[in-house]
Amino acid sequence: MSLIAFGKAETDIDYSAMRALVVDDYPGMRSAMRIALSNFGLTKIDMSANATEVLFKVQHNEYDLILCDFNLGDGRDGQQVLEELRHRGLITLDTAFIMVTAESVYEKVAATAELAPDDYLIKPFNAEILRHRLDGILRRKLAFADIYRYFAGGELEKALECCDLLIKEKPKYIVDTLRFKGELLNAMGRFEEAEALYKQVIQMRAIPWARLGLARTLHMQKKDEAAEELLHDVLEDSPELVSAYDLMAEVKLARNDAREAQAALEKGAAISGKTVRRQQRLGEVAFANGDLDKARAAFSAALDKGRHSIFVTPADYGNLCRVQVEQGDMNGALDTLKKGKMALHSSPEGQLVSAVVQGLVHTKSGRAAEAGRALDEAVRLRNVGARADEQSMLDLAGVCMANGRLEEGDAIVREVARNAHDSDALMAKARQLYEATGRGEAGDQVLKEATAEVRRLNNEGVMLAHKSDYAAAVECMLAASREAPFNPRVIMNTAWVILKRIDQEGMDHDLFAEARRLIEEAGRQSPGHTRITGLRSHLKQVEGRFGIHGSKKK
Amino acid sequence: MMLDISGLYASLMHEVKNTLGLMSITLDGVHPTGDPEHDAPLNETRLLCQRVAERLQQALLLYKAVNGQLSPMVDAYSPADVLGELRDEAQALVRDRLKVTVRIADDVPLIWFFDRNLVEMALVNAIHNSIQYARDRILLEASLDDGALCLAVKDDSDGYPEHILECVRNDQPYRSQGTGLGLQFARLVAQAHADRGREGELRLTNEDGAVFRLLLP
Repeated sequence: MSLIAFGKAETDIDYSAMRALVVDDYPGMRSAMRIALSNFGLTKIDMSANATEVLFKVQHNEYDLILCDFNLGDGRDGQQVLEELRHRGLITLDTAFIMVTAESVYEKVAATAELAPDDYLIKPFNAEILRHRLDGILRRKLAFADIYRYFAGGELEKALECCDLLIKEKPKYIVDTLRFKGELLNAMGRFEEAEALYKQVIQMRAIPWARLGLARTLHMQKKDEAAEELLHDVLEDSPELVSAYDLMAEVKLARNDAREAQAALEKGAAISGKTVRRQQRLGEVAFANGDLDKARAAFSAALDKGRHSIFVTPADYGNLCRVQVEQGDMNGALDTLKKGKMALHSSPEGQLVSAVVQGLVHTKSGRAAEAGRALDEAVRLRNVGARADEQSMLDLAGVCMANGRLEEGDAIVREVARNAHDSDALMAKARQLYEATGRGEAGDQVLKEATAEVRRLNNEGVMLAHKSDYAAAVECMLAASREAPFNPRVIMNTAWVILKRIDQEGMDHDLFAEARRLIEEAGRQSPGHTRITGLRSHLKQVEGRFGIHGSKKK
Repeated sequence: MMLDISGLYASLMHEVKNTLGLMSITLDGVHPTGDPEHDAPLNETRLLCQRVAERLQQALLLYKAVNGQLSPMVDAYSPADVLGELRDEAQALVRDRLKVTVRIADDVPLIWFFDRNLVEMALVNAIHNSIQYARDRILLEASLDDGALCLAVKDDSDGYPEHILECVRNDQPYRSQGTGLGLQFARLVAQAHADRGREGELRLTNEDGAVFRLLLP
């Protein structure tokens, strides 16, 4: 037996230079926390009562630690605040984020370590507990500093190396490090290694995040049957694990079981209905299943919960209105537009969605003149460069056709088809538009012509790349991305072959700049796509090799 | 309209618990003056405040456990960190009336898998019990027992009364109030920690004083 003298074995944390933010809707708790923190030596302590204040404060200050109550007054909870802060890049992984909750049982497992708080503090707690937890988190942050730095800079290979080093040097953090490493491997598309890693953790203990991670890598490798079986077991053991339902839905969709996918999302939403993206997904799946009531409820909830959230876009208003129009509730759709007026009018995309919905409503209500005016407005917006989500664009094409403006409709369908040639759902919807106006054959022709060139160029480019003829592949893919400038797959492939060509033949500054632009565009078109992190990392590697300094603009 | 009485009680308890938590963190800001007439009641109040908050927290968790909702969120934690945290918390509560120490056996791994919040709550209850009855010292100990992590709270009191030991031996519900509720809770927490078919365990014995052991596979 050995006696351990605490506080001596590890480095002391110096709080005097740190800045903290305390978030709680109860003033008494805020001031009690401030007193506790100032006793640790902190002098810069800010306080917020709600989510809006947090976002404002964090934009203007850099915080070392944020203590955030889970239940906030203005309808948003602490987890939503954390996700928004991370997605907008307002805080980095160096910031310690501690969730304070009154619940002893809570939605603990966030989908990824990146979106999980650093710790949960359960009320009531006292100053000693707070101090210990903070010390522990900040020491861990110090140990992870190199990993976070490389991760933030997109240098994933180096971040991986640092993970391996940390596992050797600080075995105390082995499980935290393995969790982060698993996510790195997934982001880099190295699913087999990630699978082995999660199995290694499960060997130690079948902890929920490791089982979820394993299920995710299985799904990414299209081993959906195994993924489903595993998720089934996970949910049997921990039925409260909401992110397991989200993943289950994706697995069910991959296995062409849209009904079961919807059921899984409904269960997740019943446990935690505040997450905007869960409601959005539920709405999409329910709509595709023809379950209009559920779709409407979910899209409404997404708008309702997501007020002021960055996760809500004009497309969400379009989605709800589309269901309402489908249900014949024209006044409901117009009402949705009215309620969203502020949000919609602030962007060209929002104005376009609004014009499309009006066109749709007036057309269905047989008001040709009004429909025409809405169409004119949509065309004007498009001419000045406004773009909306593909569903809304196809709605617009449908309205054009219903009002006899066939050529305008065809042009829009062509554009959507070029930019989403690999989306079966969108192509099917486009075909329906033509069938509805008795032009099925013409529609097939339009779609075939529109996608043929993109398809050919993309396939050829990929084939050339596989033969390592990157010079020819780049020419081919550049042509494809001119045809389909917003097609996520095409622009990601283009960026990929450019980077491969530079790896092989050396630097070409114009091409490199194009690759950077394409990766940024892919991030806008397909946020969170699994390939993007890997492409960014590749870009950084090339940058490092040729001593180029990344653009500082954010 | 039917009034949901149990829901009402639960939210009432929540509110009381949070207010007590606030009271406790506020009391932490009152510094001792060295004058026993000031310090003794202050220390006593802090301890009482914590005990009431803790009782409510356990009651809420027991309520959940009865409804089958007590599923532990297991992750990797350092046993040494957990005991260190509990030691400092206990020492701050008793000031210099008792000496609280930690001992970690050499074979205890750097990390172990458990739900830290539940395990801490179970241990805190045992610690507060010891604070009430110990003469001079409390020892928090981590060791390995047949492949399970054993977290122990040992004191130099007269030990547990025979009827409580009896209850634990025979796996019966505890009748006495206060201590009984806490032990019931600790047993639930232990049992909720199962791994590969092996359940956790609560063991109470009298050795040099009362010994509370939580075994986590």
